[in-house]
Amino acid sequence: MAILTQRASQEARPRGLTARLMASESGLGWLLLVPTVLILTVFLAYPFLFGLWLSVTSAELTDAGHFIGLANFRFEFTIDRPFLQAFANTFLYTGVTTVFKLSLGMGTALLLNQRFPLQRFVRAAVLLPWIIPTVFSTLAWKWMFDPTFSVVNWAAVHLHLVGYPGPNWFGSTGTALAALMIVNTWRGFPFYGVSILAGLQTIPADLYEAARVDGASRWRQFTHVTLPMLRPILLVVLLLSTILTFADFQVPFVLTNGAPFNSTHVLSTWAYQWGVTGGAIGLGAAISVVLFPLLAILVAATLIAVRRPD
Amino acid sequence: MAEKREYRFDPERWLWTPWSRRKFLSAAGLAAAGLTAGPLLEACGGGGGQSPGTAPKATIPSPRAGASIHLLQWVHFVPAADTEFIRQCTEFGTQFNVKVEVERITADQLQTRTAAAVTAGSGPDVIQMQYGWPHLYTQACEDVTNEVNLLKQRLGAVAQVNDAFSKVDGVYRAVPYTVVPNAWSFRTDYFQKAGLSAFPKTWDELAQAAGKIRAAGVPPISQTDGHAYGDSLTMWNPVLWGYGGREVNADGKTVAINSKETRTAIRWAQGAVKAGLVVHPEWLDPDNNQAYHADRISATLNGASIYIREKNEFHHFDKVTDNAVVPAGPKGTFTMNLIFNHAVMSYSPEKDTAKALLLYLMDKANYLKYTAIASGYNAGPFAAFDNDPVFFAPDADPKMKPFQQVVKPGKWPGWPAPSSKQTAQSQTQFIVADMFAKSLQNNGTGDVESAVTEAEQRLRAIFERPS
Repeated sequence: MAILTQRASQEARPRGLTARLMASESGLGWLLLVPTVLILTVFLAYPFLFGLWLSVTSAELTDAGHFIGLANFRFEFTIDRPFLQAFANTFLYTGVTTVFKLSLGMGTALLLNQRFPLQRFVRAAVLLPWIIPTVFSTLAWKWMFDPTFSVVNWAAVHLHLVGYPGPNWFGSTGTALAALMIVNTWRGFPFYGVSILAGLQTIPADLYEAARVDGASRWRQFTHVTLPMLRPILLVVLLLSTILTFADFQVPFVLTNGAPFNSTHVLSTWAYQWGVTGGAIGLGAAISVVLFPLLAILVAATLIAVRRPD
Repeated sequence: MAEKREYRFDPERWLWTPWSRRKFLSAAGLAAAGLTAGPLLEACGGGGGQSPGTAPKATIPSPRAGASIHLLQWVHFVPAADTEFIRQCTEFGTQFNVKVEVERITADQLQTRTAAAVTAGSGPDVIQMQYGWPHLYTQACEDVTNEVNLLKQRLGAVAQVNDAFSKVDGVYRAVPYTVVPNAWSFRTDYFQKAGLSAFPKTWDELAQAAGKIRAAGVPPISQTDGHAYGDSLTMWNPVLWGYGGREVNADGKTVAINSKETRTAIRWAQGAVKAGLVVHPEWLDPDNNQAYHADRISATLNGASIYIREKNEFHHFDKVTDNAVVPAGPKGTFTMNLIFNHAVMSYSPEKDTAKALLLYLMDKANYLKYTAIASGYNAGPFAAFDNDPVFFAPDADPKMKPFQQVVKPGKWPGWPAPSSKQTAQSQTQFIVADMFAKSLQNNGTGDVESAVTEAEQRLRAIFERPS
């Protein structure tokens, strides 16, 4: 009897911090969170906070610099003219490509939601632009837009769409920006397409049946059933795509890198120009974080809209 | 017990050779005495100027057996030059039991890699610095004054532009490595069709020639005014200087681009474009090479790679290709060439071995082999290479002579200001090229005032930025 009592008291006694954490549900939850928090801190929070700090310093690549308040931001908005151009380009680039990516993505999703031969193959093929490494595909586009050997111009001239030799894609601001937008749209619309397709497949078929019984046309079914049901997924996809497009570096850097005469820079490439090639890392950081307040508001608004009941 | 081996620097062969410790120690005292006059001579002579044979105080870095060296540099436009460079590195490695890895990337990617290595404090032991990068990454570049003094002692004065780029506040941060001369390559058959017997000697004549070429209906004279690190800078800076324009005054502080001379230079360019010169803001460095080899243009400013590859590889237009020096403006002939120097990175654990490797590559015999195999694509950065046989031997190709002739008048971006962090930033932002490109929009009818004002504002942004 005494032995049994002793064993019971031993079992009841805590065996250590880990054991106690494992035994408690909330403790275990916190424990499981630790790796995530650690990764987010090291790879997200620290670089972000460090970037914020750099943006208010005179740091150079080989010099930690010192605190200069908002001087970098004042400099950008009042003196650095290409920055203002890059600022405007970033909004134009994001706005135009988002409209096209959404339209093309929606169209693609609606098509892929139908039954047709080789449906799975086509669904996989549509993802190709998104799967191929961006630099690789952008280099291919660069070759296609090449002023001397452009296959795009060759095709357009032979189809009698334009006169010989066709547009000099990177030779003027308008066509160079158009080329950037074409490549970004080409690369980005599959993301919309696949995400919206996933949303379409969760809409119950009986909603459409009920709409048909009520005499709704295909267009009314789309506007009154499909779109409302897709609203959460559309908002999230738009949010992610907008953030990614605002911060896009690879396509503008590889395709034009600001040419001609710095007229196609976006904020990311202009930050690189100052921070990396110019060595003024503090100024580069200031250019990088300049959109942070706006994007923070955008994220907050979208998340509120997603949670809001219909 | 086996005697420990040391390496000594053989001044005759300009090589390190194995030496016994006893011989090394007995010679060291003599060497130290003989090598002390240098700083005095340098103080008197200044700059890169030093006659061969004078002896600055210098110690010879020894390679460490078993060391590994990672060297990062560009891919030569003449492939044989890469092969020879790597061969010499391997030869050094074999001789001193050092593993040398040469990594080559395109020149427009070099700066990204350099900046990443500098920021991380880790990466290649030796990085090839383009133009004035040592002024941008000064603290990350090891002081190599000792090694440059050794080279000056042996090879004479450093070429003016290499000196300006390599030396920061009196301290060498890179070992002068090479000049890639930029001159005009042109099609003699097309020029003859247009009634031109020689390449224009002045910018005005070039504009007239562009008109004749257009009238003859043959491919145009073409050049980039885009963000080509070589061909754009080496074209538009000399045009600006040739008409007396400058980005900044010699004090290195006063922005001077907004001037009558700048406008004259731009008006010349606009006139040339209206006459028939075709400018391409979208062209990067390889594009004019491709266009020339594809028979799309009749002349362009470039390194010697167009002619060398025609002659050695393609054989399409080599017989009808000739080369010419950069035309002169009213203020004289100015040129700008692509310059590379090698920096030993301060984070490298093998600094001495890296320095020894660079001295080995700059050994006169080795370097002359390199320029010979590169067929004159490169010119040496020391006085001893001024008479490089690749340009001056009796059997040297006379068509290569213009590439040698453009070396001496060469200047650096920002000239007449001393090379600095600010001039390097202005160069990496292509401010001069952008000013011309903006003015040359729409067939040479761009707004000159707006282009000049914008260039001035951008230069002020650099030279008057808070620090």
